[in-house]
Amino acid sequence: MRTIRFSRKQLCIPYALFLFCFVVLPLAVIVYYAFTDGSGHFTLANLISFFTNGNTIGTLCYSIVTAAAVTAVCLVIAYPTAYVLARSGLKRGPVLLMLFILPMWINFTLRITALKEILTVIEGNLSLHPFLNTVIAMTYDFLPFMILPLYTTLLELDESLLEAARDLGAGEAEVFLRVTLPLSMPGVVSGITMTFLPAMTNYVILDMMYNSTYIMGSLIGSYFNIYDWNNGSMISLILFGLICLVSWVTGRGGANDAENRGAIL
Amino acid sequence: MTAENRNRKNPSGRLCACLCGAALLTALVHPGSGGEVRAASGGDGASSPDEKVVLRIANWEEYIDEGGWDEEEIIELDDRAGTSILGENSMVEDFEQWYLDTYGVEVEVEYSTFGTNEDLYNQMTLGNEFDLVCPSEYMFMKLIAEDRLQPLSEQFYDEDIEENYYVRGVSDYIRNIFDTNTINGQSWSTYAAGYMWGTTGIVYNPDEITKEEASRWALLADPQYRGQVTIKDNVRDSYFAALGILFEDELMDPDFIRSEDRLERIAELMNRTDDETVEKAEDILKEMKANAYSFESDSGKADMVTGKVLANYQWSGDAVYTLDQAEIDDYYLAYAVPEESTNVWFDGWVMLKDGIEGNAAKQQAAEAFMNFVSRPDNVVRNMYYIGYTSVIAGGDSDVIFAYADWCYGAEDDAGETIEYPTGAFFTGDAADPDYIITAEADQADRQLYAQYPPQEVLDRAVVMQYFDQENNQKINQMWVNVRCFDLTSLTASDWGVILAAAAVILIAGIWFMRRFWPRKMIRRKDQRKEHEKNIRG
Repeated sequence: MRTIRFSRKQLCIPYALFLFCFVVLPLAVIVYYAFTDGSGHFTLANLISFFTNGNTIGTLCYSIVTAAAVTAVCLVIAYPTAYVLARSGLKRGPVLLMLFILPMWINFTLRITALKEILTVIEGNLSLHPFLNTVIAMTYDFLPFMILPLYTTLLELDESLLEAARDLGAGEAEVFLRVTLPLSMPGVVSGITMTFLPAMTNYVILDMMYNSTYIMGSLIGSYFNIYDWNNGSMISLILFGLICLVSWVTGRGGANDAENRGAIL
Repeated sequence: MTAENRNRKNPSGRLCACLCGAALLTALVHPGSGGEVRAASGGDGASSPDEKVVLRIANWEEYIDEGGWDEEEIIELDDRAGTSILGENSMVEDFEQWYLDTYGVEVEVEYSTFGTNEDLYNQMTLGNEFDLVCPSEYMFMKLIAEDRLQPLSEQFYDEDIEENYYVRGVSDYIRNIFDTNTINGQSWSTYAAGYMWGTTGIVYNPDEITKEEASRWALLADPQYRGQVTIKDNVRDSYFAALGILFEDELMDPDFIRSEDRLERIAELMNRTDDETVEKAEDILKEMKANAYSFESDSGKADMVTGKVLANYQWSGDAVYTLDQAEIDDYYLAYAVPEESTNVWFDGWVMLKDGIEGNAAKQQAAEAFMNFVSRPDNVVRNMYYIGYTSVIAGGDSDVIFAYADWCYGAEDDAGETIEYPTGAFFTGDAADPDYIITAEADQADRQLYAQYPPQEVLDRAVVMQYFDQENNQKINQMWVNVRCFDLTSLTASDWGVILAAAAVILIAGIWFMRRFWPRKMIRRKDQRKEHEKNIRG
């Protein structure tokens, strides 16, 4: 029997095809629509109207503020949690971690529906605090994405460095601030990337929490709903550019710690 | 040569992939040019009558009887013939069988569903081909305007043909609207056969909100019920409500109400799209947004039933569903139609040129389907299953009125009852003594009122026209403005707070970095100093 062997190139074919059909081609279509008008002629009007329209800029600011608030809350909750899970030598650490990840196995619309009922019991009327509810729901949804990378980086932290710092006379607080925190930055960065960006676009949560103010995702959706594919594509493209920019900026900070970059599980 | 080598050196494979990609790209960029391969029997117009006809139908989700009723669900009507109705098979299966029995032609229905009119339109634009679809009136107006529909045959309106259940049964009130409403000079009835219809109004909790309050559009922006009402998450319905508030004084003026041409004047007001009206509507919608519990497209029914909100802007069909659901928990809600005006809406069957044109066998099957769902017993099955009101009044048959009576007629031991006239829909004579239902008194504000509005409601029920491209864009832009965060709404003190917060974060960050961050480039001198210090220490 002849052994069948595949070269590396051939092994890449399935993914390359997938990438081409579902990433490159759609992107090309988006670019086409973004720079044309209804009748298919080249135009920059969509680009210009994005930056000259107070509404789109307002929505962009609102999205950024929402996403920043969600990310900040996630970080504040996730860091101590991950620290305890990874550093305090709990016997059942992995089990506890599993408990935090477990909700991800249930569809998020179901979880948000349940959360809505809980919040209704607590607040009475959800419509009175739309922004707060959105932040709570998104935090609830994205928290595991923040905990996981932090947990991984903190777990791999070299104990000898901490001992060295203590030997050199640093107090516990200083050890944390000067050694642990800087060394866990790659985890923080990938955690932020994984919560900030989806939080700018996940309008399903927004709708479910009765927040009637659009974020970027809903704005794009609304344009496609009224058949204005050109403006919708342009806003998608601008958001795409923005995401690339954020990834690039946050990515630069941790570039030296190449081994820690893939901090996500 | 091994398999590996052959593959690697084979340039035609790569070429093939490129071509596929290019084809896909063209299909996406020019929707409709590529698209699906047509069904074997469709499109070419040369199919002989013996051949199997494939009919591709797209309808709303859960908008046709799917059969499978329990034996106990049998509806025994009190009509002349003593009809019993039970949905055993789905309507579509029954149609296939009936068509074979009646015309001796085999038909295969490919049935699919859509969630919103826009969803259907996008599906069609992306190359999904259908023969017969059931959009709402504004969408079929759009399709007529775009010349994408196949006109109904003359034969379809021939009342002498036994199987023409639609034209023999459709309510005169509805028939008149379909005949008189035109787009680009062509009446709706040239292209469309009605399916379900209703009004728009407000479902409310009568314990908390009076009927008088619920009968005014202003309720939706009333600060007294802040966070207690929901509004439709689509521009047309919300715009209509906003105009109802905007023109309230005019619409409620006694002289206006008494005027001969009241209906035309309401229609003119409620279809205004001039800049000034749109601007004012935008302000009202912003008020409504600040006041509402939410904009909803589906969740409003559940929120109403669970008591999260007190009032809910709703279509009459969904209002009936909401009232029914709440009733299961002994929670009694009511439905009101605003005194100013209401939007009479329709869902109707239309045939698409893409699929039908030049294929007589297919067109016959499509028209037969419209007739089949208009057959009185089938109308009852659909109405029972969906809970909406059919446009069919029954014509010679009294089955449909008997069903209305079966639904809402009071039991003999009922308490207070009323004589509720339904003639406005069934015969066109509002006071027709043969079409009076003796119902429980509260039905005048509940399901019966929603399903069969009395004449005084029809007197203020107008069609909301399809806006042309330019106006449509203007109104859609207005809607986006309403929904987006308005930077100009921030006051100077808001900006002060924002800037102060940003400054605090920035300063704290800088301080933290300077104080604690490990510096890579510590100057040699400092390093030596610290080293000496450590040794001494």
